This record gives sequence, C-alpha cells and structure tokens, in this order.
Amino acid sequence: MMERNRKGYWLDLNLMPYAPAFEIQERILHARMAGRIAPTIILQENSPVFTIGRSGSRDNILSSPEHLRSLGIDVLEVNRGGDVTYHGPGQLIVSPLLYLGDIGLNANQYMHRLEDVLMALLERYDIDTSKKDAYPGVWLGEAKIAAVGIAVRHGFTFHGFSLNVAPDLEAFKLINPCGVSRMNVTSIAQVLGRSPGMADIKSTLKSVLEKTFSLRTDLISWQALRLEMDQLSPDDRG
Amino acid sequence: MDYDIVIPPTADGALEVTVVSWIKNTGDHVSKGQDLAEATTEKITLYVTAPADGTLKEIIVSAGTKTKIGTVIGILAGE
Repeated sequence: MMERNRKGYWLDLNLMPYAPAFEIQERILHARMAGRIAPTIILQENSPVFTIGRSGSRDNILSSPEHLRSLGIDVLEVNRGGDVTYHGPGQLIVSPLLYLGDIGLNANQYMHRLEDVLMALLERYDIDTSKKDAYPGVWLGEAKIAAVGIAVRHGFTFHGFSLNVAPDLEAFKLINPCGVSRMNVTSIAQVLGRSPGMADIKSTLKSVLEKTFSLRTDLISWQALRLEMDQLSPDDRG
Repeated sequence: MDYDIVIPPTADGALEVTVVSWIKNTGDHVSKGQDLAEATTEKITLYVTAPADGTLKEIIVSAGTKTKIGTVIGILAGE
C-alpha cells in the first residue's frame, strides 16, 4: 500500500542570531501543539554562539568570557539535550517540528533516525560516516561532523541536529564539544577540500528528510507562516 | 482525585533519564498540559506535563536524580 505523504512546511531562516531564531521555533512548536500548523522543518545558520544543553556545564567552555567577547562569541543556556556545542556561520542547524505519533517512533528512535538522515545526506557527497553507541551524532572516523540534540513536549519534537558544512572549526577548540575533551570535529569542507554550497546541501537534505518522514514540504517564509498562525489562532476563531 | 506524574513514555522504557529540574513547586496550581519538570538523557530533553488541572501535591523524585521512563516522579491533586 502506498503511504500518503503528510504536507508540511520548509522554513529557511538563513543566518540569524540564536535567540530570536529559537523564539520562532517556540512559537511554531506551540502552534503545532495547538494543532494549528502542519509539520515544519526549520533551517538556520547562527551568529557565533556556544550553547549549553540541559546535560551541560560551563566548565566545558575552555575560554574566558572576556576572550569570547573579543571573538564575538555569545554563550547561551538552552533547553535541548546534550552539553556544550558551537554554532556559527557555515553550520546548518535543522529543527524538524514533528509529532512522534505521526512518524511511529519514540524519542530515542527518532534521534537515531536523524543520525540516519545525516548519514544518508553525507553519502550523497561520497562521505562515508558512522554512528557511535556511546556518543550520539555522526562521525567520520574519530571526528564528529554532525551533532544531534532533541527535545520532546507532548510528543512534539523540537531542536534537532547541526551539520558542519564549512564553519570555523577553530571555535570548537575553545570548548569540550558535547562535554568530551579533545574531541575532534570536522566539516564537509574539510573532508572534501571544498564546500558543495549550502543551497545544494539544503536541497539534498530536503529530499532525504521528506523520504525518511513521509513528508512533502512547501517552502514558506517566516512572514507567511506567522500570518497563517495568527489567522488561525483560537482567539480569532472565537 | 490524585494523579501520578510520570516521565512520559516517549522514549525507550529502559532509557535512564535524569530529572534535571522541577519547573513548578509543591502547592503550585497548574493547568492540564502545563510543563511540570524536565528530564534528560544525554541528548534528549523530555518535558513532563500536568495530567490534569490541579495542584502539585508531592515531588517524589527530586531534581538531579536518575530514574527510568515511566517512573512516577510526583503526585498531582486534581480539582
């Protein structure tokens, strides 16, 4: 029997600071929980920032606040799972706002499915990666190329994964990434000696994500999505 | 009536989670679906939500404690 693909949205925020981008994610999550918005995949690149997840510690940031300020790197505590990581230009952050009941997975299975998505994506660029049982994420040998960290509220997922396309890898040397000291981090650009281009990667990712989660997403702007959420708010419906 | 507050069964039952924080305190009035606590594995944050309108009567598993999916971590006195 052919499975019908659910309709969803593909929201590309491009480059913006972490905090306002996360506010957008929270607004969409609440609209999702209220049944007002279809599954939405949010993509973004962030201005340089170290985020500390719920399992994390500031001790895993190895640089002083003054030094970080001089480099223009912010530090934020956030509500995803995991420890410290770096986000910055050249790193693609993807947050699928799905419902676990729709995709027939529990949270743990979903997290590992995101790793599968990343591995399938990277395979399209002839990059052969693997998973490690004790260390979630996607690895090229002993170097991490993508990190996962999800959150679930009422069965609705948020946060997701970050893929190092061509970020400044030096920034990772200022932290114990994911709480692991001396962990190697790599990127697509470092592996291939060039970057295929963010637009190309997003397009490939769209096809892999849609196939994995039986979705068919339409590109939408934040302005258009916000308008749709506002128009359908319960207050307006009376 | 009293309701059990449980770590939601949205992850593998054998998964060990840590109750990282209680968002509400004993005696707080809450609405059904409101966040009460956060539990995490290494890479997953699960929100524990109120099963009904009522008052948070008892915190059984305190913040910082490791536990399992499905564990009763508190009691809610329903309205």
